[in-house]
Amino acid sequence: MRDMATNPSFMNGVPELLILRTLETGEMYGYELVQAIQVRTNQAIKIGEGVVYPALHALESEGMLKSRRKLVNGRTRVYYALTRKGEKHLSGLVRHWQHITDAIGLAIGGTVHAATAL
Amino acid sequence: MPQPRFDRLSERLLRAGVAPRHVRRYARELSDHFDDLVREEKAHGSARELAETRALSRLGNDDDLADAMLSRPELKSLTARFPWAVFGLGPVVLLALSIVGGLYFEVWLINHTSFVWAWFHMQPSPASARIATKIYTAYNTLIIYGGPLLFAWLFTWMGSRQRMRPAWIVTGVVLICVLGGLQNLIFYDTGCRGCGVLLIQSGFANGIAWWDKGLHFGNGLFAPFPWAEGLARVVLNLIIAGGVWWWLTVRKKASTAVAFHTART
Repeated sequence: MRDMATNPSFMNGVPELLILRTLETGEMYGYELVQAIQVRTNQAIKIGEGVVYPALHALESEGMLKSRRKLVNGRTRVYYALTRKGEKHLSGLVRHWQHITDAIGLAIGGTVHAATAL
Repeated sequence: MPQPRFDRLSERLLRAGVAPRHVRRYARELSDHFDDLVREEKAHGSARELAETRALSRLGNDDDLADAMLSRPELKSLTARFPWAVFGLGPVVLLALSIVGGLYFEVWLINHTSFVWAWFHMQPSPASARIATKIYTAYNTLIIYGGPLLFAWLFTWMGSRQRMRPAWIVTGVVLICVLGGLQNLIFYDTGCRGCGVLLIQSGFANGIAWWDKGLHFGNGLFAPFPWAEGLARVVLNLIIAGGVWWWLTVRKKASTAVAFHTART
């Protein structure tokens, strides 16, 4: 899985899925979000941590996320949270990815794995 | 707040057309993220210098950070995506809106400020007509002279903020200066109730509006556009806009030279 970090074509749509899924648990700022993604994926997927922000901006401009500034320990942070539209989009993405992973599972191992939580 | 560590990246993104608000926020978020990573690395026992190197490596190099932003066309500004619309059509639309908007507001003011005259116990007379004419002439002058210069500044500000090619900015500024100079608003009060006259004169059309408790458009009822005055205003607009541009350029060059000198010493 670590090799995926060097193969950007493999990563198409992955940051969006991980971001939306992670933000499902509550609002977070960038650094916090990256740490949460690493914990959730058991550090299997490594991306440049700064790369998460353009994805956040794009998701926000598409209405999937909303942001607000919050003062924490004397520093203003931009917190991102999932919108209703984002929730709907996430369930579609999850179905899509489960379909793909099932298909790949079949191709490489001959079995379909049960859908696992991210 | 300036984020000097990401200045080069910001400049690169702006030149590539990413909207300034996204660039500013990206730089601020990266800077905050960098500080958090340094803190984390130091908490794990790294010295400051090593912590900073590791933080930068975890954050991603400039190319990766720029590519991540540039691969999302939705984050580009309208100015960068449609410069011909902003700097070509923008001046025409803005000017038309300002003249029509200004005119309708003026009619609204004329129709709804009679209580002011009543408060001063003023009846329609040559004296009140002179005062009203002066007030509304000042208002018209503000729209006709101030509007184009304000919009010229707006185009310059928008263009430089987005690092647009000077040719686009000059196009917008020249268009607004020329079009703005060739429009005119005139008001005069004849002294009887409801007899004020409000005219639009345009170098591009003979359409003229007058006010008589409503706004009507006629043709050829009043004197044609005063071309000498219009052209003089075009020249004046261009001189003022060009002068401000030159002054800003000189000031920017001077501040860049000072920054360069300070960096070297």
